[in-house]
Amino acid sequence: MLVMGIESSAHTLGVGIVRDGEILANEKISYDVGSGGMIPSKVAEFHIENVSKVIEYSLKKAGISLKQIEGIGYTRGPGIGPCLQVGELAAKTIANKFAIPITQVNHGVGHIEITKHVAGLNDPLALYVSGGNSQILKLVDKPYRHYHVLGETLDIGIGNMLDSFARELKLVPAWGSSIEKEAKGGKYIEMPYTVKGMDFAFTGLLTYAKKLIGKVSNKDLCYSLQETAFSMICEATERALLLTKSRELCVCGGVAQSTRLKEMLGKIAKEHNVKFGFAPNEFNGDNGAMIAYVAERLIKSGYTSKIEECGIEQRYRIEKAVVP
Amino acid sequence: MKLLSEGAEAKIYMQEIFGERLVVKERIKKEYREASLDEKLRLARTRNEARILYRAFEAGVKTPRLISVGKFSIYMSYLEGKLLRDVKKSQYLLRQAGLLLAKMHNADIAHGDFTPANIIVSKNTVYVIDFGLAEISKSIEEKAIDLLLMKRSLNEKQYKVLADSYAKAYRGSSDVFRKLVEIEKRGRYQIRTLT
Repeated sequence: MLVMGIESSAHTLGVGIVRDGEILANEKISYDVGSGGMIPSKVAEFHIENVSKVIEYSLKKAGISLKQIEGIGYTRGPGIGPCLQVGELAAKTIANKFAIPITQVNHGVGHIEITKHVAGLNDPLALYVSGGNSQILKLVDKPYRHYHVLGETLDIGIGNMLDSFARELKLVPAWGSSIEKEAKGGKYIEMPYTVKGMDFAFTGLLTYAKKLIGKVSNKDLCYSLQETAFSMICEATERALLLTKSRELCVCGGVAQSTRLKEMLGKIAKEHNVKFGFAPNEFNGDNGAMIAYVAERLIKSGYTSKIEECGIEQRYRIEKAVVP
Repeated sequence: MKLLSEGAEAKIYMQEIFGERLVVKERIKKEYREASLDEKLRLARTRNEARILYRAFEAGVKTPRLISVGKFSIYMSYLEGKLLRDVKKSQYLLRQAGLLLAKMHNADIAHGDFTPANIIVSKNTVYVIDFGLAEISKSIEEKAIDLLLMKRSLNEKQYKVLADSYAKAYRGSSDVFRKLVEIEKRGRYQIRTLT
C-alpha cells in the first residue's frame, strides 16, 4: 500500500511516503525560528506557502504521482493549533479528491514507531525527548494498545528548556545542539536536581542557570545545565527500565540528536545488558515519514476516519492514541 | 555479603556480623553521570535516607532499625518476612499499614513510594522499608501522593480498609483526602493509571 503522511505540528513541515513499511520519501522544510521563537500564525503562513511544494518534492523523490497514493495520514496533535490545521487541511483535500482512506496520527507515536522500525527494536522502553515533550513510555495492550506514560516532565519539555537558555546566551536555539557545542570542556557547577520517582522538572534548573549568566563562564554553565538535565532524565529512565524489566531501550524526538544523551543512555543499557537503539537524525527531527509509516499501519488495521470526523487536538495525549 | 536485590540506584546486601544479620543498602556509582554530580547525589541521598529512617523509628513507625551510616551505605537490622505485595492482604495487615502511614504523616514524613512492594510482613506485623524517596515535609500534597500510590496498587475494598484505619489515626487526614480527590481530578492522574 502506498501511503502519504503530512506532519506540521511545529516549525517543520514534512511529507513522507511509504510503501509496505519501506520509506520512499521524507522531504521537509523548516521555518527559521531564529532568536525570537515561534509565532503560531507566522509559522502556519509559512506552512501554507510551502505545503504544495513539499508534497511535490516527496512525490518526485518517490517517483510516483499524487493519484497513485492509496491512503493518507496527518498529525492530529499534539502541537500548535494553526500549524496542525495546515496538515489537516492538506490531507483532507487529497483524501476527498482521490476518495482514499484518511487517518489521524499522534505525533509522539510517530516518533517512537519510526525509531523502532529503523533501529530494529520490538518492544522497547521509549524515552521521547523533544521541544515540548519529555516522556518515558512503554506499550501496553489494555484496555487498548497504547503507550503508557511511566514518567514525564512536570513542567516544560527539555528541548524548550535548553532552547530558552540558548536564547539567553544569544546562541542558536536548535533543540540543545548549540548548548552541547558550547559545553565542550566545561567544568561542573552544582545545580538544582529534581527527580520524583520517574517524573522530573526543569524550571527550577533553568531559573538557577539563568541567574548565573555573566557570573560564570558560558562554557561551564552550558556543561552543568546539560549534565544536570540529562542526568535527571537518565535516572528516571533507568528506574523505569528496571521496573518494566524491558530488554530494549530507545530514544527519539528532537533532543535525541544529542550525542551526549545517547552516550549516557548507552552506558545505562550496557550496565543492564539491554539493547539500545535510535534512529538517524532525519527521523529524530520532525518528519513526514513517521506519520506515513504509522498511517499505513493504522489504515491496514482499519483505523480510518470520515473526513468530517478528522480534526486537530493541540494537547492530544499519547495515551489516547491507539497503536496499530 | 549476599546480594538481596538490585535497584536503579542501590544494591541491597545481607551481611552477618557476630551472627547478627544486617541489611546494607549501598548507593552505587553511576558511570553515565558526571563524577562530581554523581558523588554529590549519592552522598546527600544516603544522609537523607538515614536521617528519615531514624526519625521514623523514633516516631514509633515500624521500620528496620538504623544501625550505622557509611559514606554511601546504610546499615540496618534485617527483617525476616515477605513483601505485602506477595502475601494475602488480610484486613488485619491492611489496617496496620494504614496505621503505619498515619504515624509517618504525624511525624511529617512523606514516604514517596508507599506501595505493597515497600512493606514487609514479618510475624504478622507490617514494617515499612525503603525511605530512598522520602522527604520530611508538612506538604499535604506529598502526603496525598503516598495514599494515591497505595490506592492504585490495591483494589477498592482493600484500599478502604487501609484508608479507614489511616483516617482514625491521623488528625490531618481530612485535608489529605480532600487533596487526593483534587489530584485525581487533574488530567495527568486521570489518564495515568498503573498497569
